[in-house]
Amino acid sequence: MRRPGRPSRSLAGCATVIAAIVTLAGCGSGGNDSSAEPELKVTGAYMPAPSMDSMAAGFFTVTNSGGADTLTSVSSDLSDDITLHSTKGGAMEEEKSFAIPADGRLDFASGGNHLMFEKLTHKPKQGEKVSVELHFAKSGTVKISMPVKSATYTPKTGH
Amino acid sequence: MRKKTYAAAALFAAAALTLSACGSGDDSNKPIADVSAEAGSGKVATILDKPFEKPDLVLTDTHGKKYDLRAQTKGRPTLIYFGYTHCPDVCPLTMNNLAVAKKQLPKAQQDKLRVVFVTTDPDRDTPSALGTWLKGIDSDFVGLTGDFATIQAGARTLGISIEPTSKDKNGKLVSVHGTQVIAFSPKTDGGYVLYGEDATVDDYTKDLPKIIRGENP
Repeated sequence: MRRPGRPSRSLAGCATVIAAIVTLAGCGSGGNDSSAEPELKVTGAYMPAPSMDSMAAGFFTVTNSGGADTLTSVSSDLSDDITLHSTKGGAMEEEKSFAIPADGRLDFASGGNHLMFEKLTHKPKQGEKVSVELHFAKSGTVKISMPVKSATYTPKTGH
Repeated sequence: MRKKTYAAAALFAAAALTLSACGSGDDSNKPIADVSAEAGSGKVATILDKPFEKPDLVLTDTHGKKYDLRAQTKGRPTLIYFGYTHCPDVCPLTMNNLAVAKKQLPKAQQDKLRVVFVTTDPDRDTPSALGTWLKGIDSDFVGLTGDFATIQAGARTLGISIEPTSKDKNGKLVSVHGTQVIAFSPKTDGGYVLYGEDATVDDYTKDLPKIIRGENP
């Protein structure tokens, strides 16, 4: 009785694995509402107070309750040279754009993705607010006010 | 022990990445944060069973003078970090965390502590460029620059892997920073505690008094 059962059991196991792969691949495609309008909300923006006027970083979170969108560029009065970066294993890499998945989020957080502002018009001080425009492929331009926090600020501890 | 934990963390991270790349809908929790919590089990400091020997680095400080790391930090509690000044995020954050934590120590302890920043980008980080950058953070910090191969070899003895500055696809120069701060004991001169990038001012503030005494945090 047991013997004939065995191969079918391992086949069943195999089928489960395949099903799991298919499910993952299916959901990765972005799915049903790729044509829907994105609904973006930008929260938690901040800039750690830079120690020099040559360079600063910026962080924020985009949450999307609609269809997929793409962050294509960023501009600000503080700098004419703002680039988008990801960080992998201590090395940062410039990216042309960042995808915001449908009903998903995009995080710019310390140690990971960040905005890099270079050749600043002045050295922003803690308490100042930097006006920043985020440009999205579908949603157009979203203006945010990026508060300058202490150089050691983390959203986790709040100081 | 340590290697095992890192391997497990890497596996978790890989799993988390795969999942988040796919299931974009769920924004209620960030798997990466959970991973680091698991790997460190709430503590950001990793105490090494086998401490690192202090690297035999003889480099140039921010005044353009020869600096022999072993000789000049002998018997001193010493923190070492490898980074570069054209770094918007992690390098200044790490050094500012150390600066703010240091300022909360009694003066006598501050005077004992040595914080050494070794550049991974010596071409751009000349002694004066390093000096200007560190002045904005803590003018007592030591900044070292020199031959890249020497710096890379020194970092390697501490398990820190860095690559030379290279040009990315847009022709921009890109450098690599270490991901750890290593604390050396004043008693043994061995590197016995590691801090990852998630270490905060509060963590350093809590631990520095112990490190200054050569105790385990």
